[in-house]
Amino acid sequence: MKAEFKAKKLEILKMHIDVIREAFKQAFAPDRVTVEYPRERKKFPPNFRGLIFCEREKCISCFRCAHICPANAIQIYFHDKAWPGIDYTKCIFCHFCVDSCPTGALRATKIHDVAFATMDEMKLRATQTTKPPEVFREDSVTVDYSVDERGWSLVRVKERDELVVEAPPPRLKRRVSYCADPESCLGCRLCVEYCPSDAISVDRKANKLRILEEKCTGCGICVRNCPMKVLELREVR
Amino acid sequence: MNMLEFAMQVFRANMMDIPLINPIVEELMSVPWLNLVVALILWRPFFAVVVMPGLVVIMLYLLYIIWFERKLTARIQWRVGPLEVFRPLRGAIQALADGLRYFFQESIVHREAHRPYFVQLPILAFIPVLLPIALIPAGNVVGIKTPYAIPLFIALLSLIPITIIAIGWASNSRFAFIGSVREALMYVAYEIPFIIAAISMIYLYGSADPYVAVEKQTIPGALLNPVACLVFLISMLMATSRLPFEIPEADQEIAFGPFVEYSGMLFGLVMVLAYEKLYLMSLLFTILFLAGWSGPQLAVLGDINAPLWLVVKTLIVISILSIVRSMYARYRIDQALRFGFSWILAFSIIALAIGVVLGYEGGI
Amino acid sequence: MQEWKIVLPEKKHKKKFFGNLLEEVIKPGICSHCTACAAICPVKGITAGDKPIDFPNWLRDCVDCGACVKVCPRWEYKPLNGVGRYIEAFSARSKRFRGQDGAMVTEFTATALEEGIVEKAIFVARDEEWRTRVVTISNVEQLKSEKVAGTKYSFADVLPAVKEAVLDANAVAFVGTPCMISALRKMQRSFKKFERVKLAIGLFCTENFYHSQLSEFLSKKGVAMKDVLKTDIKKGKFIVKKADGEVIFPVKELDEIIPSGCKVCQDFSAVESDVSVGSVGSEGGFSTVLVRSDVAKRVADLIRAKGNAEFKDASIEAVKKLCDYKVKIHPYNR
Repeated sequence: MKAEFKAKKLEILKMHIDVIREAFKQAFAPDRVTVEYPRERKKFPPNFRGLIFCEREKCISCFRCAHICPANAIQIYFHDKAWPGIDYTKCIFCHFCVDSCPTGALRATKIHDVAFATMDEMKLRATQTTKPPEVFREDSVTVDYSVDERGWSLVRVKERDELVVEAPPPRLKRRVSYCADPESCLGCRLCVEYCPSDAISVDRKANKLRILEEKCTGCGICVRNCPMKVLELREVR
Repeated sequence: MNMLEFAMQVFRANMMDIPLINPIVEELMSVPWLNLVVALILWRPFFAVVVMPGLVVIMLYLLYIIWFERKLTARIQWRVGPLEVFRPLRGAIQALADGLRYFFQESIVHREAHRPYFVQLPILAFIPVLLPIALIPAGNVVGIKTPYAIPLFIALLSLIPITIIAIGWASNSRFAFIGSVREALMYVAYEIPFIIAAISMIYLYGSADPYVAVEKQTIPGALLNPVACLVFLISMLMATSRLPFEIPEADQEIAFGPFVEYSGMLFGLVMVLAYEKLYLMSLLFTILFLAGWSGPQLAVLGDINAPLWLVVKTLIVISILSIVRSMYARYRIDQALRFGFSWILAFSIIALAIGVVLGYEGGI
Repeated sequence: MQEWKIVLPEKKHKKKFFGNLLEEVIKPGICSHCTACAAICPVKGITAGDKPIDFPNWLRDCVDCGACVKVCPRWEYKPLNGVGRYIEAFSARSKRFRGQDGAMVTEFTATALEEGIVEKAIFVARDEEWRTRVVTISNVEQLKSEKVAGTKYSFADVLPAVKEAVLDANAVAFVGTPCMISALRKMQRSFKKFERVKLAIGLFCTENFYHSQLSEFLSKKGVAMKDVLKTDIKKGKFIVKKADGEVIFPVKELDEIIPSGCKVCQDFSAVESDVSVGSVGSEGGFSTVLVRSDVAKRVADLIRAKGNAEFKDASIEAVKKLCDYKVKIHPYNR
């Protein structure tokens, strides 16, 4: 009993000494991993899902981004073509739209900290999504975590992180629309109505429908809307 | 002769002698009205009470201790602490910003509070806090020179918890009441071992005079009677409600205890109460255990050497207590009481025995 | 560049094509409510249901494609009549299904689904009030569970469901009245995709009714639709079986609610179908089956081989008699 008692006391003393040693060690060389945002920025990986912008020249108005958005945040605005605007009160940054864009027009950025003054400002129109969103940067240092057997530590680099991500080119080749089953065509000419690039036209005198491959952007709107589903997309040879 | 000349005479008789600034002082003494002010400031009692180790040093110390404690605790806890107030200084003047805010904030006195006591007590609480400073000597810089400075000091310190309990009572609120009761229990727990430890040192030196105590410390008192040193340190933690004994004003349990209803300037006053008590007890600790104001003296600084050493040693003691705060968790009230009445009491009696034995026949 | 021709039928009036349909078929009252036009309309503007065929706002919304005219069996109507050609005729009763008579329609469909001859089948189910509901069957379990067996004497929009099924599946079967079968054949001639309908089962039909009118008529006779267990037309009598007895009255009393489009139809035995099924020519509990095409023959042989039905001889004379009777009561000379 006495030996037990003594051993417990010794243990407690040892614990006290350990605590004091640890506290002094941390006081002089802390293991802290605080990133002093906004003067430092943590380095995000290239697949970080931040705000999205659209490169207009590549957009083919296929509406895929608006269809796939799970939060209904993309609204297409009609100028001479049709371009997406993003409503950031709804966007959940899942980047389904970026993944679904066949030409890679929608691009991801690593920007996550844009400040909007009002809720209405958060609904970006198509004219506002053409450039990466403006963010006021106060940082001059980029911080990254380095993990080894001893633990985590910070690595500070005195340079600014590039916030616009270079996207790999899309894996899809250009596709154009063609009629796979002309004998089932109703002749309703809805495809002519829907085509945003005027690639399908009707020749009333000869009673013919014509697809011009050069004008077709492969958006797929005619394919989706054909009532008899005779139109399909195929890769350009 | 008139009053002013009489005052001038009194001042000149007991002025501080600092070779470093003596030329400037000589210059200023020739200016008619300014010489009175300068003489007053450099008059030793005034200097002891108001400048060093008095009120001015207390205010600067508050600025320092709040910054130091918050930054150190943060560093140990893998945080950064206050950072934004003045960026080039990395948040060092956070306390100043807080004080300024207290000035502008409304001090709300709620309906159920006993209004006279609620408002007056924080100010009254400063009496037992500021009075003892007049008793502490530092070389020949002293406010009231008395051979019974140490017991007087302890007696005045014992009044502080009473005012804290009264503050909680005046707030007429549930948390304040519980905080008051906890403060009373802690008071009971630490007071006896604290007094016994101090008495053991008095026995050791053979006199209650701080001058004698410092003179006799060729070896620091901490090495002469380490048990008393330990007991005194732990009692300091309990007395100023610092972790691990932060029981009366535990943030997560009792929402700041007796001081819960205070806001604005009144809150500023009660917040610094604990820090000032800590300063006082550290002064006593320095005098009893760390050889007070002795240390290598620089001739050019003259009279200001001793107070400077005293203040520096006090600050070192307080800084070490700040580390203790970040290391330990909080005791439960019954654990603290048991601790105070069993282990610390036993140790203090052992310290008393050591003190009596070593100080037999009139001290070391 | 890709080009293909579109064929437009000849307009008989200077209007959009639905206007032509209106003038030639709907207004003269020869529309049979087969719903082929509603099925094929690319803007889904033509409405069917339990009311006459219409296209609200056709002046603005009709895209003038001419598909409705191409598929309408009553456009340039030449009535078909007679028993029609058949490979074999028999009377049969399914051993595994219970239906109106011999449940041979269900049996044919089940066998075709099981053997993979068709992927989907369009059937008609009903609710407690005997309102029709079109169901798409993909496996035999659905045939057993849904209330698909049994004759419902009301219009059902079968052809729109056939069109949707044809876009999804490669082989489709369906059950319909003779006008629907004729419409399907017209659809197959105009639009190649409808050749995916591999099995078109026709029913012997004299007339059909609008559900609301039939329901009102029966309630005047003191019958609530939800009490009805089975309806039957046999030997000129309309038989309503209830839980507590039967109500029988001559079919002639229903004359006022027979739609005008049925009154010009002379096709009793669905001459353009792959197989025709009905009660005429068999005894009670058995169905007469007229197998007309190779696909149907294959299915019939499979039924025989599997032993899923009992077979007897059918009376073709009885069928012929009713075919002549229908021509007599429904003259059409325009």
